Amino acid sequence: MTGIQLTNVTKKYIENKFEITALENVSVRVEAGEFVAIVGPSGSGKSTFLSIAGALLKPTEGQVLINNQDITSLHEKQLSSVRLNQIGFILQTANLIPYLTAVDQLLIVKKMKGSVSKEDRAFALQLLKDLGLENKENKFPNECSGGERQRVAIARAFMNDPDIILADEPTSSLDTKRGHEVVQLMAEQVKLRGKSAIMVTHDERMLDYCDRVYRIEDGVLTEEVHTQLA
Amino acid sequence: MVLALKELLYSKGRFIMIGFIIVLISWLVFILSGLGTGLSALSTGVVSQADITGIVFEEGSEYSLSKSNISSSLSEEVSKQEGVTDTAEISTFNTSVRKEGTANENEKITDVVLIGIEPNSFMQPDIVEGSTWNTSEQTQVIADASLQSEGYSIGDSIEFSGTDKAVTIVGFTENKTLYHQSALYAQTDDFRDIRFSEPELANGAEDSVSGIAIQGDEVNMAALSEPGSGIEYGTKEETIKAIPGYVAENATIMMMLWFLMIISAFILGVFFYVLTNQKTHQFGVLKAIGGSNGFIMRSVVSQVFVLSLISILLGIGLTYLTVLALPETMPFQLETNMVVIYSAVLLVISVLSSLFSVARISKIDPLTALGRIE
Repeated sequence: MTGIQLTNVTKKYIENKFEITALENVSVRVEAGEFVAIVGPSGSGKSTFLSIAGALLKPTEGQVLINNQDITSLHEKQLSSVRLNQIGFILQTANLIPYLTAVDQLLIVKKMKGSVSKEDRAFALQLLKDLGLENKENKFPNECSGGERQRVAIARAFMNDPDIILADEPTSSLDTKRGHEVVQLMAEQVKLRGKSAIMVTHDERMLDYCDRVYRIEDGVLTEEVHTQLA
Repeated sequence: MVLALKELLYSKGRFIMIGFIIVLISWLVFILSGLGTGLSALSTGVVSQADITGIVFEEGSEYSLSKSNISSSLSEEVSKQEGVTDTAEISTFNTSVRKEGTANENEKITDVVLIGIEPNSFMQPDIVEGSTWNTSEQTQVIADASLQSEGYSIGDSIEFSGTDKAVTIVGFTENKTLYHQSALYAQTDDFRDIRFSEPELANGAEDSVSGIAIQGDEVNMAALSEPGSGIEYGTKEETIKAIPGYVAENATIMMMLWFLMIISAFILGVFFYVLTNQKTHQFGVLKAIGGSNGFIMRSVVSQVFVLSLISILLGIGLTYLTVLALPETMPFQLETNMVVIYSAVLLVISVLSSLFSVARISKIDPLTALGRIE
């Protein structure tokens, strides 16, 4: 299968001699073409979940399979390669590099892999176009609106054609209208390109775009019965 | 690399400030180096600029031409020694000169070193203006170009203090100074006439010279210069070091140079460290989207390299502009190979000082990109 699967993942922190369980026995599976949302209040373990799914953090127990490869036993260098090739991250405040233009934000991902070809450049421009960023290719982040920045970040996540897309509060800095736009675009791209996507959010307005919704509270994940709009 | 250059262009102001500091440091380094070379040439030029392997001195003269006195007949024996390919007599005499006929006026007196050599020997200086000695009646000398700024020119007749001997300047050579004084080159016979103006001064030293300069590879003078033999042999380096004031002068400037380098290493190190610290979050983002440590480190180091390279080149440019503005009499001599060496050292220092902060990069947790850790 392609996609991401977490099996019985538990994450514990030691803080001031107290053990805190951030995630408890979490299992979730997202297939290609599925867009899954995880909602929960702050402090519920959302970010820990995303960090573990995104190969940024190792679980205390359990297994994380990305395209059938167990990443829990990999070391730092291999993890960074997994992040580069198989995961596209959309971070909450867009987190673009301030001195790169929109198209360079995308091409830097290719640069990390080696070199940038003509096709890569064409693909980057196509992605920006798909996300409604025509004529913004040569704008720096400080010349773009919040929605535009978030859309550049989405384009960047798709740039290396990863199988997994992870989004961390993609709408947190946007108003309702732009929030809807951004999540709708994300959902479209996920379907179009057949990615497994997980969006962590506390924004209940955005759940209509998702195939499944999980709720997380005190580290425990439960699937929510959700009536999907046709 | 591209990432590095794009940031350089984007955050110009910040990098111009750091670059400016490197420009100033390299400027100062090159000026000091030029001054050091100029000063040491001023004190050693006659020896250091000559193509010699060493000099044979009188025993006990401590490699000093002014203290040494040997017979020129030794040349024959010296040239038979192992590795010696050629010999040339050299005599020196500290004196002073003034323009002829100004003895009773307030005309300036200039200290000079009179140097006596055989014509057509390898000690004969290259002429930059005028001509070398010819065989006319008049006693002729070749002067160092530094005497030009004292008001002397070709065709001038000059006389030495303590004698009524007058000589004519026929040509100028350059960088020929000794003990911080300009050199005047005369043929050995003329030299003796001036040096021993009263016959009794010569006192049996009719054929004496200060030393015999030699040329040759892998010279072995051990046989000749045994203790008690009356002569000693100094290599070119030993002779230069024995010139009064040279070592102290040179050491002072070298100390300033290397202190400057060390200080600049610290200043730049701190600068790059602060810069890296400011970009912690950014590097975290790059790591979260898959950038390896190597990618980020290469980017930082290449940035420092490019910035330093441009700044040092600017510093070199500024130095050459400064040279144009320096007064003629200032002992300043910028040697291309020194500029290349110090540029390389500065470049290495700035790159090394950035490695200090590069070490930090590997410790940055990509989790910082998430902006919160639960």
